[in-house]
Amino acid sequence: MNGKMIRGDKAYQYDLVVIGAGPGGYVAAIRAAQLGMTTVVVEKDRAGGVCLNWGCIPSKAILTSAELYEDLKEGERYGIRAQGISIDFPHVIRRSREVADRLAKGVEFLLRKNKVQLVAGTGRLDSPHRVIVDVPGKTPLQLDTAHVLIATGSKERTLPGLEVDGKQILTSYEALVDTEMPRDILIVGGGAIGCEFAYVYSAFGSRVTIVEMEKQLLPGVDTEVAQELEKAFKKKGIEVLTETKYHGIEKFPGRVEVALEYNGDIKTRTANKVLVAVGRVPLSADLGLEVVGIALNRGFIKVNEHMQTSCETVYAIGDVNGPPLLAHAASEEGIAAVEHMAGKREKGIDHLKIPACVYCQPEVAMVGLTEEQAKAKGYTVAIGKFPFMASGKAIAKGHDEGFVKLVVDKEYGEILGCHIIGHGATDLIAEIGLARTLEATTAELTGTVHAHPTLSEAIMEAALSAEGRGINF
Amino acid sequence: MAIEIVMPKLSDTMEEGKILKWLKNVGDKIEMGDIIAEVETDKADMEMEALDAGILAEIRVREGESIAVGGVIAILSEDGVGVTVGASPSKSEGVKLAVSVPPSVVEVEEKEKPIAEAPMPLPQASGVQALPIPERKVRELREPRPRRESHEATGDGERVLASPLVKRMAEEHHIDLGQVSGSGPNGRIIKQDIEAYLAKAPAQPSSTRASVGEPTPAPVVTPMVTSGGTKQTFSRMRATIAKRMADSMREVPHFYVTCEVDMSEAVRLRTALKASDRVQSDVTYTHFLIKAVAIALERHPRLNAAFAEDGRELKAEINIGIAVSLEDGLIVPVLHHCNKLSLLDIASQGNALVERARSGKPAGDDLSGGTFTISNMGMLPIEHFTAIINQPQGAILAVGAIKERPVVRNGQVVIAHTMMVTLSSDHRILDGVTSGQFLTEVKKLLENPVGLMV
Repeated sequence: MNGKMIRGDKAYQYDLVVIGAGPGGYVAAIRAAQLGMTTVVVEKDRAGGVCLNWGCIPSKAILTSAELYEDLKEGERYGIRAQGISIDFPHVIRRSREVADRLAKGVEFLLRKNKVQLVAGTGRLDSPHRVIVDVPGKTPLQLDTAHVLIATGSKERTLPGLEVDGKQILTSYEALVDTEMPRDILIVGGGAIGCEFAYVYSAFGSRVTIVEMEKQLLPGVDTEVAQELEKAFKKKGIEVLTETKYHGIEKFPGRVEVALEYNGDIKTRTANKVLVAVGRVPLSADLGLEVVGIALNRGFIKVNEHMQTSCETVYAIGDVNGPPLLAHAASEEGIAAVEHMAGKREKGIDHLKIPACVYCQPEVAMVGLTEEQAKAKGYTVAIGKFPFMASGKAIAKGHDEGFVKLVVDKEYGEILGCHIIGHGATDLIAEIGLARTLEATTAELTGTVHAHPTLSEAIMEAALSAEGRGINF
Repeated sequence: MAIEIVMPKLSDTMEEGKILKWLKNVGDKIEMGDIIAEVETDKADMEMEALDAGILAEIRVREGESIAVGGVIAILSEDGVGVTVGASPSKSEGVKLAVSVPPSVVEVEEKEKPIAEAPMPLPQASGVQALPIPERKVRELREPRPRRESHEATGDGERVLASPLVKRMAEEHHIDLGQVSGSGPNGRIIKQDIEAYLAKAPAQPSSTRASVGEPTPAPVVTPMVTSGGTKQTFSRMRATIAKRMADSMREVPHFYVTCEVDMSEAVRLRTALKASDRVQSDVTYTHFLIKAVAIALERHPRLNAAFAEDGRELKAEINIGIAVSLEDGLIVPVLHHCNKLSLLDIASQGNALVERARSGKPAGDDLSGGTFTISNMGMLPIEHFTAIINQPQGAILAVGAIKERPVVRNGQVVIAHTMMVTLSSDHRILDGVTSGQFLTEVKKLLENPVGLMV
C-alpha cells in the first residue's frame, strides 16, 4: 500500500492561519482549502485588501470615467458632436466605491464557499504555531496552527513635511474617496500610481504637474517606453519634471506652494492639491515578528524562493515581502507558499514571468527582462519593434501612439522580455506571458496567425522584426 | 483467488490506522493505483492506494473503526468469486455492504458547531478564547497526478513533450530529447532541464582528445531524484564552471607545492602606500602577487605555458587571471601584459578590471587570453588551499590569508605576518623542481617587496 499525505499535522487546531485578506491572502486561503487544509483568514479591515478596496479596482473604475470623458471631448475627431458634457465628480467616486463594494462581497462569498473562516480582528504571532487575534472591545482569540501566512501588504509612503491632511495633501488612499476634483494638482512621484493619477486628473481637465527624482517617469521600466510616455503626457498638457526633488511645502487657504529642486536650483509650483505617490511601505510592524525571530530587510520580511521566512512554519507573501508590489504577484506567491506547505510544489516563483501594468493612457505593460538586463546577463540580444502608427486597428481607433518592443535571445529566438506602450497594452501583454511560460520562441509568435485587424498583430510584427523580416514596418 | 488488503504502515511511528472513509463499495472493480480509502494515522489523513487489481469482495473494517497495522481491512477477489453484494453479513462484525455513499461523492457535509458550544480542547494562554473548531472536511482531491519524472526513448515515434525553445536548443546541440528528464507540467522538458542536461552530459566525443584504448563512456542520464531537499537548477555560469572544473580534474594530472611567505615587509609597504597621497589606487596584496608572479613568470617561462598535443606551448604574453567570486559562481578577469605594468598600473587597471567584471560589463578581452591564474582567498581566515587549473593554462596559485605567525629569524622566535601559497601544476608540462623554483622566486620577490616597485 502506498500513502500520500492529504491533510496536515493533527497537533494543531488549524492547518493554516492567514493574516490579511487581500489579493495574496484570500487567494492563498482558497488554494489551501482546495488542498484540504483547515484554514482561517484574519482581516482587520475588509476582505479584498488594498487592491480591491483602495487600489487597483476603484482606480480603474475612475479611470474608465476619465477615458469616457476624454473620448466624448474628442468626439469631433470621430465625427460625433456632443454638447454640454460635464463631470459629476462625486458620482464618479461613488461609482468606484460601488464597484469596490461589489467585489469585496464577492471575496467574502468565495471564502465562505470554500469553507474558509474569516475572522475580523488584528492578527499577530505569539509563537511559530500560534496567532493571537486582537478584537476591539473583546477578549483576544487564540489560534493554534501548523502554518502561518503573513499577507499584510503595504501602505502609502509619505515624505517628511508632506503630512497627509486629506484635503490639500493626499495619498492615493485619500484621492480615491476625495469627491472634490482638483483644479491644479502637483503629483510627487512618477511611478505607476503617480502616472495613473496624472492621466486621470488631466483627462478630467485638471492642470497636472508630475515630479520624479529619477531621470525618467516609471523608473526601472524600459527607457524607450518611459520616453514615449513622457512625450504622450506632455502632449496632453501634463507638466513632467524629471530629475526633480520635492524640497518643501507651504500651505495657504485653498492653495499650496511647493518648492522643487532641480539641478541645485529651487523652483516653485502652486497647486490646490498635492498627491504624494512616492512608493509604499510594508506593513510588517506589530505582527509579533520579533517574538518568533523573523528577519527583515529594510522593513520587508525576508523570504526564500518558497516564501518561507526565517521561521519555517511562517510564510510571507505579497507586498510585505518586498517587490514586486503587485496584486497578481501576491496571489501567485500565495499559491506557491500554500502548495509548498502541502508538499505539492518544489519550484519557487519565477518573477520574470510576472507582468507589470500601468493603467494610464497610453497604457504601459511589460514582462521579463529589459534590453539592458538581457545584455547584462550575457545574452546576444535582438530587438523586435513595431509602432502602433503602422497598425491598421490602432489608426482606425484613433490611438496610434506607442509601440511593442520584444527583447529576444538571438541564439535560439527565446523571448526574454516584452515592453508595450499604447492603448490596449495591458491586455496585449498576456500573449507574451503565455509565450514565456510555454518557452515559445519568435518562430511560434510569427507562426501564430493573428486576426486582422487587431492590436495583437503588433506582437506578431514585432517578432517578425526581431527575426529581421518585418512586413508592415 | 482472494487477496487480503491490510492496513498499511503509512508513517514511521504508525501503529494503527482508522478508516475515515471507503471510496469504493463492495462489488466495485478496482484497478491498481486506485484510491480505495482515506485513512487517519497518528500524523495525518492519508489516501490509500490499491496495489492489486480485482473486485472488492468484502470490507472488514467499517468507516470510523481502527485496526492495527497489518490487520486485514478488506478482501479483493481477482475473479469476482466470493463477492457478496447485498447479502447479509456473513460475519458478525465488521462487514459493511453496499455503502450508500457513491464513490464519486466529493464532500461530506461540514458540521460547524455554533460558537456558543465551542469546545476548548487545547491548552490556552490566559486571557484568550478559542474559536470553534470546524470538523475537518473530507474531500476527494482532484489534484493532478504527480508528473512523470522521466521519458522513455523516443525512437518509436513516441511524442516527446518539450517546449519550442528546448526543441530548438536540442537541434542545435544534437541532443536526443528522449535522454532528457522533464520537470515541467506532465513531464514537459523545459529550458532548465536541457541546460542541466548540457551541463551534466560529457562533451561530444572529440577524436583528438580521446585517449587510446579507453572506451568512450556512453552519456549517463541520472534520473531526477526528488526525495526531499530541493533541486537548484544551474545557471549558465554554474553549468560552465561545473563542466570546466570536472574536465580539468579529469584530464590534467595536478600536483601541488606549498610554501610560507613572510609578508611583514609587504604589510609595511602597503601601509606606506596607503598613507601616501600620491598613490590614487588602492594597492592590495593581490596586486603585489600579480607583480611578483609576472616577474617570476618572465624568469621561468615554462610556468607560462600550456599543454599541447605533442609538446608544450610557451606563451608570448604574460596575462594573469584573477579569480573573482560572484553569487554562486566565479569569473576570472584577465590583466594583460602584466610584465609590462608597474605595480601602480597593476593596481589601477586591476581594480577597474575587477569592477567591470563584477558589474557584469566586461570589456573586449577582459575575460580571455589568460596564461596563469591567481586565486586569493586571503579575505577569509583560510590557512591554505589548492586550486584547480584553469585550462588550457599550466598552473594556478592559491593564496591563503596573511596571519601573524611565529617564525624563526637568526635563531630567535619572532612574530611575523606570513601567508601560505600553494601552486597547482600540470604534471604533463611541469615537474616538482621547476614549480618549486618558480614558487621560491615568488616568495623571494614578495619578501623583498621594494623590488616590486622598481
